[in-house]
Amino acid sequence: MRRLKLEPWLLILPVVVLLLVGFVLPVASVLLSGFTTPGGGWTIENFTRFFESAFHTGAAMRSLRMALVQTAVVLLISLPLAYAMSRASAKVQAFMMIAIVLPVMTSVVVRSFGWVILIGPAGPLADIPGFLELSKSRQGLLGTELGVNIAMVQVLVPFAVLSILGVLNGVDRRLEEASRTMGASFGRTAWSVVFPLAIPGAIAGGTLAFAMSISSFITPNLIGGAQIPVLAAIIYTDATTNLNWPFAAAQSLLMLIVVLVTIGLTAKLSARR
Amino acid sequence: MKIAKPFAAAAAIGLALAVSACSTTSAPSGNSDGGAPVELVVTSFGGDWEKAYIEAVVKPFEEEYNAKITLVTLYSADALAQLTAQASAPQLDVVHFSGGQEAIAAAQGLIDPVDPADLTTFDDLSPIATEGLERGEGPVMQVTPIGIVYRSDVIEKAPNSWEDVFDPKYAQHVALTDLSNSYGLLSLLAVNETLGGDTDDLEPGLDALGDLAQSGDAIVIKTSADMQQAFSARDIWIAPYSQDYAETLRKAGLDVEFAVPDEGAPASFITANVVAGRTNSDLATKLVDFSLRPEAQATFAEAMLYSPVNTTTELSSDIADTVIHGDALSKLVRYDSTVLNERRAGWTDEWNLRIAQ
Repeated sequence: MRRLKLEPWLLILPVVVLLLVGFVLPVASVLLSGFTTPGGGWTIENFTRFFESAFHTGAAMRSLRMALVQTAVVLLISLPLAYAMSRASAKVQAFMMIAIVLPVMTSVVVRSFGWVILIGPAGPLADIPGFLELSKSRQGLLGTELGVNIAMVQVLVPFAVLSILGVLNGVDRRLEEASRTMGASFGRTAWSVVFPLAIPGAIAGGTLAFAMSISSFITPNLIGGAQIPVLAAIIYTDATTNLNWPFAAAQSLLMLIVVLVTIGLTAKLSARR
Repeated sequence: MKIAKPFAAAAAIGLALAVSACSTTSAPSGNSDGGAPVELVVTSFGGDWEKAYIEAVVKPFEEEYNAKITLVTLYSADALAQLTAQASAPQLDVVHFSGGQEAIAAAQGLIDPVDPADLTTFDDLSPIATEGLERGEGPVMQVTPIGIVYRSDVIEKAPNSWEDVFDPKYAQHVALTDLSNSYGLLSLLAVNETLGGDTDDLEPGLDALGDLAQSGDAIVIKTSADMQQAFSARDIWIAPYSQDYAETLRKAGLDVEFAVPDEGAPASFITANVVAGRTNSDLATKLVDFSLRPEAQATFAEAMLYSPVNTTTELSSDIADTVIHGDALSKLVRYDSTVLNERRAGWTDEWNLRIAQ
C-alpha cells in the first residue's frame, strides 16, 4: 500500500524539479530583490517610494481600471460567442475555432500594429467626422485609453472564449430542451439555464483575461504610448532604462499580489457554486 | 555516378584546403591560425545603422581577420541591462551605446578599458573620441547632433531655434520623445537651456514641454521606429531628434530636413566598447579600432551623416556641408553621463507625471 502512494509522487518529481529550478527559484529571487537596495542591504524603501510617487500609483490605478473594464467587455463578448459556437454544427464550430485561434498564432506586436494603423490618423476611420478629435492631439483613438482597451479586448477574447466553450460543450443539451418544452423562450433559456451553467468557465476565462491584461505592456505601449502609462510598462522601463531592478521587483511583487488576490477571490466564488 | 562520388569528395576536400590556405596567407598580423573563424558577438541598432555597419566594418573585418561577426540588435538601455544580467558570464564581445551608458558600464567593470597603444588609429582621432578612454570607456565611434527634424513640404522656413517647437502654427503636429529614450533626454536638456535652465534646474524645460504634451499639442513617442511612423502616418511636422535618423527618414522617401538651432546643439556620442571577461577581447579591440579607420568613418558619414571622429576621413563634396566635422565638432555639447545617469530616474518620474493624460 505504501509503495502505491509513493509512485504518483515519483512520477511528478521531474516536473516539480523543473518548475522549482526553472520557475519558482528565479521568480522568488527577483521578488526578494524588491526588498534590497541597489547596494545589497535590506529595505522596504522600494515600496514606500512606490506609494509616495503620484506617477506610479496613478499608473497602477489606471492599470487596474483598464484591466477590469477589459475583463468585463471580454466576458460580454465571449459568453454569447462561445454559446453560439457550442450550439453550431461540428463543421461551423471547427471553422469558428480556427477564426478565433488564428489571431493568437500571430505575434501580439503584429496585431497591435494592425490596430495602430486602423485607429490612427492615417487609417480608414480617419474620414469619419469627429473621429480624429477623439484624442486631444487629433490622433483618432491612438494614444487614448479607449484605443488600448479595444485592442486589448481583441487580444484577450480568444482565451475567454476557449475556457467558456470547454464548459458549455459539456452542458447537457436536454436541459435546454426541457426548458423550451416547459415554455421558456430562447432568451429566458439562455439567461436562466445556460449562462448559470457557464459561470465556472466565465470565471476561469475572466481571471485569465484579467491576469493577462494587467501584466501586458506591448499593446499599451504601442497604442497608448508614453502618455497612457500602465504599471507593466513602467516596470519594464524601471528595469531596463533606469536599471533599478529592486524597484522594478517591488512593483512586480505588488502586481503579483493583486493578481493572486483576484485569483483567490474568484476561486472562492466558483467553489461556492 | 558511382565513380564520380569519391572524386567529388576529393575535389571538395582539395577546395576546402585551398580556401583555408588562402585565408591563412591573407590573414595579417598572425591573428588567426587559418582554422575556423573566431566568432565575435556585437550589438547593433538594427535598420539602416546595421546596413552601414555591415558594409563599413563587418564584411571587411571578417575578411581581414578571419573572424565571424554575429550581430545582435539591442538598443543601448537593453544592452546595458543584458550586460548587467550576464556580468558573471557575458555573451557579448563588443557593445555599442548611444545614451551615455558606457559611464555606468565602466564604473561597474562590465567593459574593459581600451589602451591607446592598441588603437592604430589613435593619433588621427579627434579629442572628443578619446577623452573617455581614461575613464575606462570605449572610444566614441560616431557622433550625431540632436536638432530639429521637420517636414520641408509643410514648413517652408527652416526652424532655427529650439523654441520653434512651441510655435502655435505647429500645434498638434509636434512629436516629442520620451525620456526613456536618450534622444528625448538630450532634446529636453537643450530646450531647457534655451529657456534659461541647466542640469541643476530642469523646471523651465519640464514645464514647457510637459504643457505641450499635456494639452495635446504634441504627441510623445518612444523609439526611432515610432518617429518614422509619426512623420509618415501621424501627421507630424516637427520634432526634436537626431540627424542620423532624419537622414534615415529622408532616405525612406519622406520630405524631411534637419536643422541645427542657433542656440547650439547637444549630440549623441555613440561609443564602441569591449566587454570585460570575454576570451577574444584582443580581437574585439581590433574590431573597435577597425571601426575608427577613415574608410569605415566615411561609410558611416555617407550612409547616415555621422560626423567622423577620425580627422583623416575624407568626405565627398555633396555631404561635406551637411555633416558637422573638423573644429565644429567640438562645439557640440556632450553632457556628463555620470550626472545624467544619476538624475535621470528622478527626471523621468517628473516628466512622466507631467505628460500623462
